[in-house]
Amino acid sequence: MAGAPDGGTVLSEKMLAARFAEVVLPHLSDALSLARWLTGNQADAEDVVQEACLKAHAGIAGFAGGNPRAWLLTIVRNASYTWMARNRPRSVVAVGDLADLDDVSPPPDTDADSPEAALIAKANSAAVEGAIAKLPQAFRETLVLRDINGLSYREIAAMLGVPQGTVMSRLARARGLLMTELGGRHEPA
Amino acid sequence: MSPHENRPREDGLPQDPQDMKLMIHALVDGELDAAAALAVERRMAADPELAAEHARLVALRGAVANVPRQTVRDDFLARIAAIAEVSGTDEAVQSTAVKAQSQPQQQQGNVVEMRPRAARWFNSFDWRQMAASIVLTAFLASGATQWLATADNRADSFAVAVANGHRRSLLAATPVDIVSSDRHTVKPWLDGRIGVSPAAPDMAKDGYALLGGRVEVIGDRPMPALVYRHHEHLITLVAAPRQNEAKSVPVADDLSAGGFLLVHWTDDAFSYWAISDAERPALDDFVARFRAAIIANPAAGSPG
Repeated sequence: MAGAPDGGTVLSEKMLAARFAEVVLPHLSDALSLARWLTGNQADAEDVVQEACLKAHAGIAGFAGGNPRAWLLTIVRNASYTWMARNRPRSVVAVGDLADLDDVSPPPDTDADSPEAALIAKANSAAVEGAIAKLPQAFRETLVLRDINGLSYREIAAMLGVPQGTVMSRLARARGLLMTELGGRHEPA
Repeated sequence: MSPHENRPREDGLPQDPQDMKLMIHALVDGELDAAAALAVERRMAADPELAAEHARLVALRGAVANVPRQTVRDDFLARIAAIAEVSGTDEAVQSTAVKAQSQPQQQQGNVVEMRPRAARWFNSFDWRQMAASIVLTAFLASGATQWLATADNRADSFAVAVANGHRRSLLAATPVDIVSSDRHTVKPWLDGRIGVSPAAPDMAKDGYALLGGRVEVIGDRPMPALVYRHHEHLITLVAAPRQNEAKSVPVADDLSAGGFLLVHWTDDAFSYWAISDAERPALDDFVARFRAAIIANPAAGSPG
């Protein structure tokens, strides 16, 4: 029997194209969403996703099962930061800042009324988008990966290279900030 | 930790209020198993503050879900779809042209298409020069696909279903429902579930170890599937009981679907579909050895 070196799979161009069509194309909407929230605008998102897809195509042979969406979004995330480092060097959050953010204590959460839930539920999309856009980068990224892209804690932890507990606390912080913003719990200072 | 509360709670949940909140998030996110979810729900029932947090989270999730999704514009999709097609353009044009001229019976190595939507080229970008060749490719390929699809539509959709089942098994926690390298275990299990079981020779000596079996549902029929491991590749072998109208494929037919390679053949009792991400020679070798094993030991192939 013919064993391929390193377990590599010999695939024709056509097979790769078929795999690309199946692995990448169905998740373009998610890819655009992530890129849009990371870069902050839609036109840049398309540029970033196109770059990411070129990389995805080059690496499609290495996709060995697993969640194709998580696989593609990992590439999109990297492409987003590469793109921002090149085009908007000032806005890139340094790695040190992330650790600081994780240390910030959660916002106080005194009274818990159900009317607040109603307020949040009624918030219009523009208000929600505005609130998401205002989140610190690390929180926004985690929230988008979970609540918009629908990845699991484990997938997000693997993508960001942080423990699952960090994903959970960032997510809780992000949602806490959104709930404060949308539920009108605290008056803006 | 206050002195009167140093005994761990019996439900195994965190005592720290902030950590407990994380559990509420995990519940809303569907990240808890049934036991933990039950424990959290009990805590919520006893603690109005936790219940309120849960209500807020559910409301927030609804609000975020209502944010309009990014739409993929057609020309953007075409641009991305072109990435895969550009690199193979010359080859693809040639092979589709050859295919279009070959005889209908000859379907060796045809691709069961899961193609992107046909590209549209209305906007002018610098990739416009490529457009002509790509449109030609797409035209030829879709023409060929259409012709293949009408020629052998049933087999194609079956192959796609087999590919989807195989892909799902790779994503699942385990690719098999019954773990065993012993056909005396696998066959009765399949018989008990769906009343039919194919021969299940263990070919570990040849490099194809029997991992076990599972049930695939294709069309509206449950079918036995065997799973073999070859190095780090899994091979799924779906054995569909032959029906009278099914056409006979005594010689193994090489196909592909969804990025996987398939081999299809029939014997008296079953219509077999072997699928894997292993390379073609290994898959062909597996099929040859499997067929030889059945012939050498027909007892393994008889029902029960």
